[in-house]
Amino acid sequence: MIPLNWYLALSAIVFSIGLYGLMTHKNGIRMLMCVELMLNSANINLVAFSSYNDDMTGQVFALFSIAIAAAEAAIGFAILMSIYRMRDMIDVDKLNILRW
Amino acid sequence: MAMENLAFLIPLLPALAFVLTFFLGKKLPSGGAIIPIIAIAISCVISLSITAGLLANPGHVVTQSVHWFAILNLGILIDPLAAVMLSMVSFVSLLIHIYAVGYMSHDPAKPRYFAETALFTAAMLGLILSDNILQLFVCWELVGLSSYLLIGFWFHKPGAASAAKKAFLTTRIGDVMFLAGIVLLFADIFAILEGKLPEGVYLLQFEEIFKFIPDLVAINSTILGMEVSHLTLVTLLFFGGAVGKSGQFPLHVWLPDAMEGPTTVSALIHAATMVTAGVYLVARTFPMFLAAPGTLMVVAMLGAFTALFAATMGIVMNDLKRVLAFSTISQLGYMVLGLGLGAVIGAEAVGVSMFHLINHAFFKALLFLCAGSVIHAVGTHDMRQLGGVGKVMPITFATMTAAALALAGFGIPGTSIGFSGFLSKDPIIEGAYVFATQTGNWIPYLFAISAAFLTSLYIFRLIFMTFTGKPRSDYGGHESPSSMTIPLATLGVFAVIFGALTRGKFMTFIESNFEHLDMNALAELGGYHLGPHGHEPLLILWMPLIVAVAGLVIAYLIYNKRVIDMSRIVSSENPVYKLLYNRYYQHQIFVEIFSVKIIYEGLALASFYSDKMLDWLVNGTSTFLIEAGDSLRKFQTGVIQDYAAAVVAGVGLLVILVKLIMEVF
Repeated sequence: MIPLNWYLALSAIVFSIGLYGLMTHKNGIRMLMCVELMLNSANINLVAFSSYNDDMTGQVFALFSIAIAAAEAAIGFAILMSIYRMRDMIDVDKLNILRW
Repeated sequence: MAMENLAFLIPLLPALAFVLTFFLGKKLPSGGAIIPIIAIAISCVISLSITAGLLANPGHVVTQSVHWFAILNLGILIDPLAAVMLSMVSFVSLLIHIYAVGYMSHDPAKPRYFAETALFTAAMLGLILSDNILQLFVCWELVGLSSYLLIGFWFHKPGAASAAKKAFLTTRIGDVMFLAGIVLLFADIFAILEGKLPEGVYLLQFEEIFKFIPDLVAINSTILGMEVSHLTLVTLLFFGGAVGKSGQFPLHVWLPDAMEGPTTVSALIHAATMVTAGVYLVARTFPMFLAAPGTLMVVAMLGAFTALFAATMGIVMNDLKRVLAFSTISQLGYMVLGLGLGAVIGAEAVGVSMFHLINHAFFKALLFLCAGSVIHAVGTHDMRQLGGVGKVMPITFATMTAAALALAGFGIPGTSIGFSGFLSKDPIIEGAYVFATQTGNWIPYLFAISAAFLTSLYIFRLIFMTFTGKPRSDYGGHESPSSMTIPLATLGVFAVIFGALTRGKFMTFIESNFEHLDMNALAELGGYHLGPHGHEPLLILWMPLIVAVAGLVIAYLIYNKRVIDMSRIVSSENPVYKLLYNRYYQHQIFVEIFSVKIIYEGLALASFYSDKMLDWLVNGTSTFLIEAGDSLRKFQTGVIQDYAAAVVAGVGLLVILVKLIMEVF
């Protein structure tokens, strides 16, 4: 059986990739994908702990999390679509009208 | 007797009529006037039969009481004093309600009018038959409220609206003093009992209060370096309430303005009933006043002064109703003077004062209703535009002349022949003479006799200017409808004969009210003796009649025969005329100097400095916040990565902190 630590390491790697992508990219769609990566790294953790503790709660929780991620992605893409229609680009750096 | 058990209905029926008329009046003919008329008629019948029962057996006082809470009760006390007031108020109110059906026939807001007068009648009757001071105070405020509502009945006229406010605020000064008196009295009684309240006794009932008079005399306070007993303080505060309600100097300023309301309201509230509530309060608590000679002196002096002061203004007014308003203030001054003579003539003071109160109610209500009849027919208040009205309105002319003769006090001294006003005003003036001979203080007598002369002068000036001579403007007059003339005639009969019929009997009836209290003992508590007093010299007896005739003759010569040229006197160059016509500049003194100069400008000065202080605080706070915000908002870059970095940094910091804390503990 694969030890728990491996899963945790995988999760940490995926999370870091996601975070790195979120911090460095300016394209809205890429950033959204990176957010999905970070969310899925959390799901890996949930499932891993669930399996090792013989408790189904974690897996159920992961299912909920996936469903919410899907809804969130739909909203995110819808927002990006309307931004694209207005400005012909989805460069998040330039969308700074809500600052001071 | 069955009627006595119905005593509680006397105020309740008009109160019920108020509710019914207010909500259903629009659907009934003539604004639902019939409901209050029936209600007050029943109250009147009950009051009259109780009075008849008391006349037969003065000791048989009607009392009813229900527990309210703690040591307070709601109760009814109908002794001779209350009985005559009840009968008078319900009777006059009934006549004026009938008269108002004709007088208010053109007014669209009739239901509101009749509802409010019914409310007033209920409150006034409740005030009269209260057996405790707190219930009296509640009704006292209610009549004040009704007065406010009815003065401002035509609230769309700015004059009426401001007169209503003026009346309410001026009487409020008196009401606050009255309330302070009750509070002080209650606190003192509580202190006397050392907090141990007896079971089953309602401490604020008048009979209970009177038992504490000796204890109240013993409590002293030092005010402005003077040693004053608490009884004097309490009675002075009560009298302050009476000053406000009964229009005594210096709180009389609201009463002339109150004439902005309908004339029927002036007749009912501001002539016959409500303004006498102050006199009634003093009469009701008279045993307390008797033991406080200092207060009685104030009462006598203020009453005499008001009687003269108001009469001087009455002779120059050109508005029918204002002449009568000043006359009311002057006559109330007589009643207050009568009460103030208590230190010399004892309980007789209440007798003469109440006698004048009742007679005054009849003839003054009549004067107002006659004036209303003229105004209703002619459409103007200004006597300079009237003249010769007597030819077109004979009934009004006859009744008004009868009322004027009653007010001026015509009659034969030493007998029971005379108009009602004569038989009641003379004892007051004679009492003032006795007061003068016993105390050496001639001021009340001189003021009272001068006021009697002026009274005759102003009322006959009014009669001659309005009813005789040639019309001074085009007006189409007609005699008023019978619903108005019948009350006039009824009141006319009372104004002429009531005094003659009841003289003597009335006084002993009222004095029997205080029979169970030892007047001499009360006087000794006040540090003086009530002695017998002899008969007045013949000249003193005839003096009031002489001055009344003199007033009539002078008014006749000036305003009817015009043998004396008035243009010299009545001009803006005559300083006396100017002073009187401008009512001693009271309005200017009260409003412009007192309110505007002192209060308003004082406030402005104070607010100038407080504004600076506040400005500094408020502006400083906002400047600080704006500048802090200016520098802090730079954190919001609008770049998503910055926010994400901040979140990651925050979480990282939190993790490190948690780790550190776990290791330390």
